[in-house]
Amino acid sequence: MPTNFKVPIFDVKNLSYEINGVNILSNISLEIFNAQYIAIIGPNGGGKTTLVRMLLGLDKASSGEIRIFGKKLKDFKDWYKIGYVPQRASHVDANFPGTVLDIVSMGRTSQKGFFAKTTEEDKEAVDSAMQKMDIVDLKNKMIGTLSGGQRQRVVCARALASKPEVLILDEPNTGVDAISQNRFYSLLKELNKVQKITIVFITHDVGVIADDIARLFTVNQKLTTCNNPKQALSCKEMSELYGIDAHLLHNHKHGH
Amino acid sequence: MGINVLEIFEYEFMQRAFLAGMIIAVLASVSGTFIVLRRYSMISETLAHSALVGVAVGIVAGYNPLWMAVIVAIISAWIIEYLRGHFSLYSDAILAIMLSGSLAIAVIIVSLGGAFNNSLFSYLFGSILSVSKEDVITIFVFGSLALGVLLLYAKELYFIAYDEEVAQVSGIKIKFLNFLLVTVVAIIIALSIRVVGSLLIGALMVIPTISALQFKLGFFKTSILSLVFAIISVACGMIFSYYFSLPSGATIVLSVLSIFILSLAVSKK
Ligand SMILES: Nc1ncnc2c1ncn2[C@@H]1O[C@H](COP(=O)(O)OP(=O)(O)OP(=O)(O)O)[C@@H](O)[C@H]1O
Ligand SMILES: [Mg+2]
Repeated sequence: MPTNFKVPIFDVKNLSYEINGVNILSNISLEIFNAQYIAIIGPNGGGKTTLVRMLLGLDKASSGEIRIFGKKLKDFKDWYKIGYVPQRASHVDANFPGTVLDIVSMGRTSQKGFFAKTTEEDKEAVDSAMQKMDIVDLKNKMIGTLSGGQRQRVVCARALASKPEVLILDEPNTGVDAISQNRFYSLLKELNKVQKITIVFITHDVGVIADDIARLFTVNQKLTTCNNPKQALSCKEMSELYGIDAHLLHNHKHGH
Repeated sequence: MGINVLEIFEYEFMQRAFLAGMIIAVLASVSGTFIVLRRYSMISETLAHSALVGVAVGIVAGYNPLWMAVIVAIISAWIIEYLRGHFSLYSDAILAIMLSGSLAIAVIIVSLGGAFNNSLFSYLFGSILSVSKEDVITIFVFGSLALGVLLLYAKELYFIAYDEEVAQVSGIKIKFLNFLLVTVVAIIIALSIRVVGSLLIGALMVIPTISALQFKLGFFKTSILSLVFAIISVACGMIFSYYFSLPSGATIVLSVLSIFILSLAVSKK
């Protein structure tokens, strides 16, 4: 890919993270370029969530450097460019006073100035996000009354409503039914191909999207990059590190 | 007593008390909504006790107790936020420590100053008789300021209440807004102790929102309902306070409790 001369969106060098002397991540270096679709896989506890939390400044690295859009993490200000769907985002207080519309509209909050009214553009962005996630019917329902999978779709819609340039999704599909999942995969593909949105997608279901993604990262304390995900199984380091879940990739091959 | 409820407005002190009470109802319910959603209800109790230190200083040293209460409550709020941010203490433990610490200091100041009297009693439980014109002006000026700030940042505060980390990642200034919220709450609590009393203001901040939440409505409707509950409670509480010569804080809290019980009954049907 002739992107090497461009400034990467995420540029990570020698990143390490430890808690109470235990190494969670060691010596991670990676570059993610504009309009790339990246999948991150790895066993439970491998450190995937920790890695993206550090990229977003939610956890502080023990050592190493992170640059976003060329800026040091602490100097980066344009957070509105990034949409984030955390793992287990669907766990909300059953009594939380918010309709689906209220929650999706939060996606527009950070782009508002003082006393700013809801503009046509905001409404349009919120509507289109709800359409994409197929939750228009649920618009006026209370978030606490929805099922786990429905809530997960609401949370994704909120991230889309902010019209991000970069989408970071931490297992957003947990509890989402197969039909909606497939819709979601097509949506991600479209966002990436048509709107050139950069996507970082943590998933255990990489077989299905192997054709869509540009690169595959495997995280299990260390990071392994595979530039040709379709032949992921033939990446030697990958199968060594990730042998346990390699059947996911197998399934994909059988499916073809 | 229903016959001539209006007679109470013939007295100037009642007009003042009512005006102050209505402003406080609005302030307490709007700020209370954010506090409850952040699961930070206990901070209102703690700040109310810190405000007492200000009252004590005011009474003993001869400054305006309301002003002193505002200042000390704000300082206390900042200390709490600082401790929360810089030490990995449990935040409810911090609140408990600050609460008893403040009360101890207030009691010592009052004892040394020989000021255990009715005036102090009115700051503990609220009094409709003691609201001066100066108090009304102070409550109005600081109250408008506090309400303005809350409304200015309502969307951001709502987002933070829903999911602090996602709000942070979307570029919302979490630290600044957390400080701002506790500062505003400190001001509102200090202003309220004239009418509601420092031992009872916590209830007026929290219960209207908790009652409104029972109806499972969206954010806007919940805020409005909470506001209506607070206004009704304060109005009823003051009327009862007048007719039965009871401390207004106590009658207001009993009114708001009745509304809570009714809300539970109606919404669980
Ligand atoms: N606050 C914490 N204190 C101690 N250890 C932690 C903490 N947070 C995470 N860890 C540890 O860090 C490791 C990586 O966790 P992380 O959540 O990043 O894994 P993951 O790859 O996202 O797993 P999953 O697939 O289950 O989501 C785990 O071993 C976990 O026990
Ligand atoms: Mg995880």
